Amino acid sequence: MSTGTDTAAPAVRPAAPAPAGEVRHAAPPPRPAPDAGHAVRPARQPLRALGRRLRALSLRSAAILVLLAVWETAPRLGLADPTFLPPVSEVAAAWWELLGNGQLGRHTWASLVRSFGGFAIAVVVAVPLGLLIGWYRPVAALLGPLLEVFRNTAALALLPVFVLLLGIGETSKVSIVVYACVWPILLNTISAVGNADPTLVRLARSMDLSTPRLFQKVILPASVPAVFTGIRLAGAVSILVLVAAEMIGAKAGLGYLINASQFNFAIPQMYAGIVTISAIGVAFNQLLVTIERRLSTWRVPS
Amino acid sequence: MAKIVFEGVRKTFGDFTALDGIDLEIRSGEFLVVVGPSGCGKSTLLDLLGGLSTPTSGRILLDGKPVTGPGLDRGIVFQQYALLPWRTALGNVEFGLEATGVPRRERRARATEFLDLVGLTGFEDRHPHQLSGGMRQRVAIARSLAYDPDVLLMDEPFAALDAQTRESLQDELRRIWQRTGKTVVFITHGIEEAVYLGQKVAVMTSRPGRIKEIVPVSFGERPETAAVGTGTGTGTGPQGEELRSSPEFARYRHEIWTLLHDEVARAQQLEKEEASV
Repeated sequence: MSTGTDTAAPAVRPAAPAPAGEVRHAAPPPRPAPDAGHAVRPARQPLRALGRRLRALSLRSAAILVLLAVWETAPRLGLADPTFLPPVSEVAAAWWELLGNGQLGRHTWASLVRSFGGFAIAVVVAVPLGLLIGWYRPVAALLGPLLEVFRNTAALALLPVFVLLLGIGETSKVSIVVYACVWPILLNTISAVGNADPTLVRLARSMDLSTPRLFQKVILPASVPAVFTGIRLAGAVSILVLVAAEMIGAKAGLGYLINASQFNFAIPQMYAGIVTISAIGVAFNQLLVTIERRLSTWRVPS
Repeated sequence: MAKIVFEGVRKTFGDFTALDGIDLEIRSGEFLVVVGPSGCGKSTLLDLLGGLSTPTSGRILLDGKPVTGPGLDRGIVFQQYALLPWRTALGNVEFGLEATGVPRRERRARATEFLDLVGLTGFEDRHPHQLSGGMRQRVAIARSLAYDPDVLLMDEPFAALDAQTRESLQDELRRIWQRTGKTVVFITHGIEEAVYLGQKVAVMTSRPGRIKEIVPVSFGERPETAAVGTGTGTGTGPQGEELRSSPEFARYRHEIWTLLHDEVARAQQLEKEEASV
């Protein structure tokens, strides 16, 4: 889309011959205001935008800053036992040290490979499978109850089974991540296909569109938002499950780092691991949200 | 030769008979409005004609050939617009053309042209949620016209719009019909709409749906033929409020109202009986 035509064309040609009765319901023709403003006062506009963004940023980070402040002061004031909850500055120092000696990098890398690997496999498997199952309604009806059972079986409850079958190495850890990630994606994709607007399907049918075309042009784009909800859930799950799996049997990974630190009474290091995990979780979710936005700009802003 | 022929068409869903003994002939370029009480099988009639379902017995001929399935020789306009929300107005009109194998560049030009025909120049890049109901339906009409079907099937297309928008779209539709010469089959439950739009109004009975009577509608000065390419289609005669408040209009409305009145009463009776069982 070229922004040039976007903004210029409708302003020049107003609502065309839209008859009188309808004009009031029409969305107002695109506001030429922002662009006109740019031309007249080029300096003040960006400044004001910057100010607005800064204000928004400070509002959004306020709660986190308060949390950090409480974390720092509570142990120092004796409100919490500094042995078990060291002030955040100590945790930061430990984190910095772990980063410096390469331990943090090693453990993070091990975790990321496992969780992203499992997550990626789950996406590649579950999305097409979900589209297929969702399209054939009888299959969806047949498999529905089974899928519900699997989804509601906590993945970690099956960890011993995975270890039993696949050993204690990488395979079992990646597998449990795949397993846990598949369900939210699969179920969301199936329901996305099932919920595709029936009028749109009728439209495509009335135009004699072939089934693959119908899929490509109607079902797939209509499913994107719901599929992405599943993918985001899976993203969170992938980290959650992995950390737990690493706590049980692993020689590397953030879950192992946290568990081992606690075991060796290296409490600041333990918190450093926890903070790293939550940072990864937030960043991953943010990434998925951004991709989702990119893919569904057409949605009604809610 | 008749463009569309229904021959003893019957449609049942299990025990329920939706349509029974439908015989109907529609000439090429004709504007036929089907009006009937709710649940009388109007939409079923359109589905059959659109090839979205098949009659239980009887047959439907289009240009002398039986309808066997959907096709691009018929364009359907739905009450719920059926626009793809992820596409712009232009993209939605192009969608209709993609099925026809028109080359990409030509698609864009054609879509622009048809958006212009329905008065939406300047709104090409808007997504459906940025358009009013009336504008959405205009996009849907442009989409159906763009792939140039002979027959336009309209399933209560203006029912969800407010009165003013509806009236302006009615005028627009008549104008488009006169310009393009399409055969139009228009379903509605509105008597005024039927009288205003149709050259013929087919009144349906309530369950099972039958054609009760076909009322030809004509207003003296209003041109009643699709004036394609003749250049005579400029004089449109009385329009809008002027036509709606004329005594002739009132007479037609009353005639159809009388025909429908018994059917509506019967339909309500049937519904009550069903609800109490």
